[in-house]
Amino acid sequence: MAKETLTEVITVADSDTSKTTVAPKERSIVGWIAENGIFVFTALLIVVALVFVDGFASWVNITDVFHRAAPIGIVAVGMTFVVISGNYLDLSVVAQVATSAVILIAVSNSYGIPLAMLAALLAAAVFGVVNGVAVGYFKANAVIVTLATTYIGLGLLRLFSGGSIFFGPQDGLIREFGLGKLGAVPYSAVVLVLMTLVLAFVLNRTNFGFLIRSFGVNESATRLGGTNTALVVIGAFLVTALAAMVAGWVLAAFSNTAVSAMSSGYDFRALAAIIVGGTSVFGGKGSVLRTLLGVIFVSVLTNILVLSGITFGYQQMALGVLIVAAVAIDALSRKAGKR
Amino acid sequence: MSSTNSIQIGQQETSFWGRLRLTLARRTEGRGVALLAVVLVVVAFTEPLVFTAYPVSLGRIALIGLVALGLTAVILMGELDLSVASTLALSGVVMAMIPDVALGVIAALAVGLVVGMINAFLVAIVGINSFIATLGMLFALRGLGFVLSNEAPVRMANTDAGIAFGLPLLGPLTPRVLIFIVAFIALQIFVSRVKAGREFFAVGGNRQAAYDAGIPVKRRIFTGFLISGFVASLAGAINTLERTAADPTAGSTVLLASFAAAIIGGNYLKGGRGSIVGTLIGATALGVLQVALTLTGVQVPVQQIFIGLILLLAVTTDPANLRAVLGSIRSVRQGRLKSQT
Repeated sequence: MAKETLTEVITVADSDTSKTTVAPKERSIVGWIAENGIFVFTALLIVVALVFVDGFASWVNITDVFHRAAPIGIVAVGMTFVVISGNYLDLSVVAQVATSAVILIAVSNSYGIPLAMLAALLAAAVFGVVNGVAVGYFKANAVIVTLATTYIGLGLLRLFSGGSIFFGPQDGLIREFGLGKLGAVPYSAVVLVLMTLVLAFVLNRTNFGFLIRSFGVNESATRLGGTNTALVVIGAFLVTALAAMVAGWVLAAFSNTAVSAMSSGYDFRALAAIIVGGTSVFGGKGSVLRTLLGVIFVSVLTNILVLSGITFGYQQMALGVLIVAAVAIDALSRKAGKR
Repeated sequence: MSSTNSIQIGQQETSFWGRLRLTLARRTEGRGVALLAVVLVVVAFTEPLVFTAYPVSLGRIALIGLVALGLTAVILMGELDLSVASTLALSGVVMAMIPDVALGVIAALAVGLVVGMINAFLVAIVGINSFIATLGMLFALRGLGFVLSNEAPVRMANTDAGIAFGLPLLGPLTPRVLIFIVAFIALQIFVSRVKAGREFFAVGGNRQAAYDAGIPVKRRIFTGFLISGFVASLAGAINTLERTAADPTAGSTVLLASFAAAIIGGNYLKGGRGSIVGTLIGATALGVLQVALTLTGVQVPVQQIFIGLILLLAVTTDPANLRAVLGSIRSVRQGRLKSQT
């Protein structure tokens, strides 16, 4: 509805100013890197890995990369919605993924898989709505809100699970899914690709996706256009929560175990993938497919570091610096564009 | 009474109650005071041990409060420093690695200043949003802490200094509490009496107006991040001295509590409004609450839930936020009425 009105306005505006020529977009090196760097860097990284890193080009290793990338990637493509809507990020995905994984294993052990999935869905909805209401209706800062819900969620999870590890049955649907492959590709990677395609469709082709993007560009204009912006924010956090839920299932199925600490670091790996992919933390600009590319970049980079025997501390440092550098490039390209 | 040479804005309050009401309306610490009152009353009835064992409570308040004080300086300008947790851990590790205690403390404080410098550079010069810039720094610095410590706690070489540091120095006050009191007084004077500190409010309230008025906005942002980095590293050094060992994962629980303290104390996250006193009140409430929960034997997850809920409550019940909510509800209702007629 709002989409049509806006298109009309643009058409009217276009017909009025059709004679004035639009100045060509100024080209800058930083701007080009911010726009296209990820394609070059990903290609370069893969070439470097294939040529210089021993053990990268084996099928076992590639499968391992897929398995590790899938849950983080699913979280990242979902969280892209929150980032594009201009609400920075959702730190609470750490708690969401762990909650979903623990619920899937623990509940399915005694009540069956459908009920477990339903329970996980309920938990995801609670997370999404609480985050969304606090940010959308109360206009609270998303970083602080999701920091708080992370600790509330993890606290509740540890309280109910007692911090213990849950094991799934040795043979069952979950195990089959976790180890199964479609051709040569693990199911988890298939889920990642499917999620990416579905979310890309939602973001690019539906009314809801249009509102997410326009909210990220200009919040007050979207509100004045007659949209209930609070609902848009809640929607963005719900998409993230649902993606985190699916990621939790994939993660639980792969290891057939679940524990409250299993998803630590997911917030920041997912953010790294999103930002490196070229989605702007200033909101409004970005895409789900770019995030998938960012996931590939971050996963391959991590894999290279692991294969080269570089310790966890250096990996953390590298990803932290990567986030700062990617955002810096984005910020500098914006500055260059304004001039 | 002639009113020719004075402009009367609003009604001049002359009665005592009127002036009191005006003073109270200008303060921002309301929610902090309310939380503190609730916590103190409940704790007095359920766990009076918190007050008899006041050195423990004071130490806790000092730890939360010290980090929260640094955060306040940044929040007043509408920025945020998420990297304080890692700064605390990293400076602690650096300090424990150096055998000489005095040299270690100096190195730790230098770490804090360097981190503050980098944060300020990213925010003021490069133009990155401070939430994201300091989040990246949070992870990068944690990684650096892991690298330096080989992913294990580092023991101090000189444990005697650490033990001496934990003893009461002035009456019942340990050096940690004394340092916190000094930092509190210094920062209070800085933001209320010193020009540079008062400019923090202007930068946070309206950056463009502050810039137009000739305030060196970028230099103030540097000042703010240097303060928060320095104070966080001070807390890291104190933590290491008290435990005679540095943990590279330290600070994650302090991060949550100190944010909650600063925000519930009335410091508006968008900047321009807040006070150091409010932070002290918030830190006192949260410190007492944490010690009470620990003493009553409540599990750690429940403590996390409590602090998380307080932070969520603090960030959603900000008066300015609530006004925005009421305004949007009103406008939606008016829109409905109009569409009906």
